[in-house]
Amino acid sequence: MSTIAEVSETTGFSREGVEAISRARLETGATRDARLRAWELYESLPMPQRTDEEWRRTDIRGLKLDRLRSDTRADAPGIEPLAALQEAGVENAADQIALGPNAGVVVQRDAATILATLDPEVAAQGVIFTDLPTAAREHPELVERYFMTQAVPPTLGKFEALHAAYWQGGSFLYVPKGVKVEAPFRSFGLLSEAGATIFSHTLAVIEEGAEAFVAEAYRSPSLEAQSFASAVVELIVASDAKLRYVQVQDWGRNVWNFMTERAILADDALLNSLHVTLGSRFSKSSIASHLRGKNALAEMLGIYFADGDQFFDHHTWQLHESPYATSDLEFKGALKGHARSVYSGLIKVEEGAQKTDAYQQNRNLILSRTARADSIPNLEIGANDVRCTHGATISQVEEEHLFYLQARGIPRPEAQNLIVEGFFRPVIDRIPVEEIQDFLKTAIARKVGI
Amino acid sequence: MSGSNGAVDTPMFEIENLHAEIDGNEILKGVNLVVNEGEIHALMGPNGSGKSTLAYVIAGDPRYEVTEGSIRFRGEDILEWTPDERARKGLFLAFQYPTVIPGVSMANFLRMAVTNVRNARAEEAANGGEAQKMTPREFRRLMREKMALLKMDDAFATRYLNEGFSGGEKKRAEILQMALLEPKMAVLDETDSGLDIDALKVVSEGVNNLSGPDVGMLLITHYQRLLNFIKPDFVHIMMEGRIVESGGPELAHELEAKGYEGLRARFAESSAS
Repeated sequence: MSTIAEVSETTGFSREGVEAISRARLETGATRDARLRAWELYESLPMPQRTDEEWRRTDIRGLKLDRLRSDTRADAPGIEPLAALQEAGVENAADQIALGPNAGVVVQRDAATILATLDPEVAAQGVIFTDLPTAAREHPELVERYFMTQAVPPTLGKFEALHAAYWQGGSFLYVPKGVKVEAPFRSFGLLSEAGATIFSHTLAVIEEGAEAFVAEAYRSPSLEAQSFASAVVELIVASDAKLRYVQVQDWGRNVWNFMTERAILADDALLNSLHVTLGSRFSKSSIASHLRGKNALAEMLGIYFADGDQFFDHHTWQLHESPYATSDLEFKGALKGHARSVYSGLIKVEEGAQKTDAYQQNRNLILSRTARADSIPNLEIGANDVRCTHGATISQVEEEHLFYLQARGIPRPEAQNLIVEGFFRPVIDRIPVEEIQDFLKTAIARKVGI
Repeated sequence: MSGSNGAVDTPMFEIENLHAEIDGNEILKGVNLVVNEGEIHALMGPNGSGKSTLAYVIAGDPRYEVTEGSIRFRGEDILEWTPDERARKGLFLAFQYPTVIPGVSMANFLRMAVTNVRNARAEEAANGGEAQKMTPREFRRLMREKMALLKMDDAFATRYLNEGFSGGEKKRAEILQMALLEPKMAVLDETDSGLDIDALKVVSEGVNNLSGPDVGMLLITHYQRLLNFIKPDFVHIMMEGRIVESGGPELAHELEAKGYEGLRARFAESSAS
């Protein structure tokens, strides 16, 4: 692996910045050209406005792109992965990067990959799991086939185009036909400095009949100056394949997070995804499943908990493009302090996607007078023999519930925590992974503030 | 009527001239009641007489405002205490309508309740609390044991709090909570309502097991039926926000024979004279 260290002192994003990244990574013509094309696209697209339906309730005027420092250092910064994870606040960090309990681990810190490991027994089955720049060099034909070509094209939007120009790290997973791996493939995105940027890309290709579990976490300490995180997640689930995908966004409070995820499911494919949004100052998540094959099943779960002055926006799409597919979405959020959230979800059934079974549920629990949640469910149905249901609620903790628990000796803050955890419990119970259930329980208690 | 302990002792539980209102409507209009250790009191009265309000006010329901009077437990004024403090000090209310709380498992809820109440008791005990702390295994064993006594299925523990419970199951769950928290002063609000005769026997047996020389109980009931299974030492009749008559168990039988209307006539006479 050969890279050239280059430290850029400029702020903001520019064509020069894109070229600097390409130079630092010794990229060949095609990769470099793709970046520059994406940059031109970025420049040609207008910044999202409140007049755009998707951004109507989402104000990004506070994002100062010109003050961000775009890091081009591709070399390792000389920090041990364990220390880097601990600095970012990751619990049980040693277990999180150990092989055995994990099939493989990739850690990206700012622009650099500081760890990329794969269990040799898993590798022996033909599985590829490494950081994306390495994968692009070692398996160009595979990466080029999928990277921002099918799931998330740069044309999807302004921030996706920026990502295509500036992407620097992330993970690439390829599970060959019929290979089943139980242990998680784990990847971390870490930000170490205030004012920094991270572009993290996840590309997972699960071939026919294969099974995998991908667990990602975005973490950083809370710092003063605004930082920027851009993530694109592309999940390709071939026929009869199964993928469990868990993403925990727990950035520091200075981070503005933009995440776009698209999954493509072939015939009989199964996706179970969970998005946990806890951190950042501002978070915009765009999450879609393309049910492209017959009889595909997408279970899309979400848990968010905003406090202080956090703003979370989740947009979801359940895109039924073939008959006999099922999508089952449940996003639940709690809000306290002055936090705000927007949930908007669309179930779209294409013409001919008969026997679609789609379910969408968004529930919000408001824990303070000053918090606010908006929920906008939508249906767009182009077939006549389908079952689509959706529901949205925004409610508060009931005084009667608190009184009942208090009448059993449980102090009010603990009673409130019990109620909030109970509110999230149906979603938590749908993730049969003990480590994640424990993490969520702790995270909820921390958020409630006991 | 409360003389079992002699005049110089502070009563265990004493309500004096209690007035309480909800949304500006006065419901309790001067309630007086004394319950001592080892005594079982029955509080009877027609619908709307204020029985349940009294139960809620004792437990500290924030919907009600106490405008006058006092409630003392072992000499201390409890009206300033939060509902959870009252429970940790040894008061208990078995709710007439237990609240459904989705997503909260029975076992988790009970463990938190027991831990809080026991820790408080351990702190209070002069010899330090460590001895009373319970391991999760000990808790599960205790819970199973008490559930078996109340003829409750093991699966109960994994269900969400009161969600989808039948009327009888809810009442049993209330008594299970009482059995685990071991209160010193228990108020049971219409614990017999909605129970068939078999369930009533099980629940009554549970309550009888929990009564003892250092426990006071106040059974609120509309009908005399419950008193065939739990024998009260004292019976009080409540009407229009006041206790209008107190007596021994025979009062309940008289009530059964004459009905509330008969007693109401007598109450009207006595208050006129």
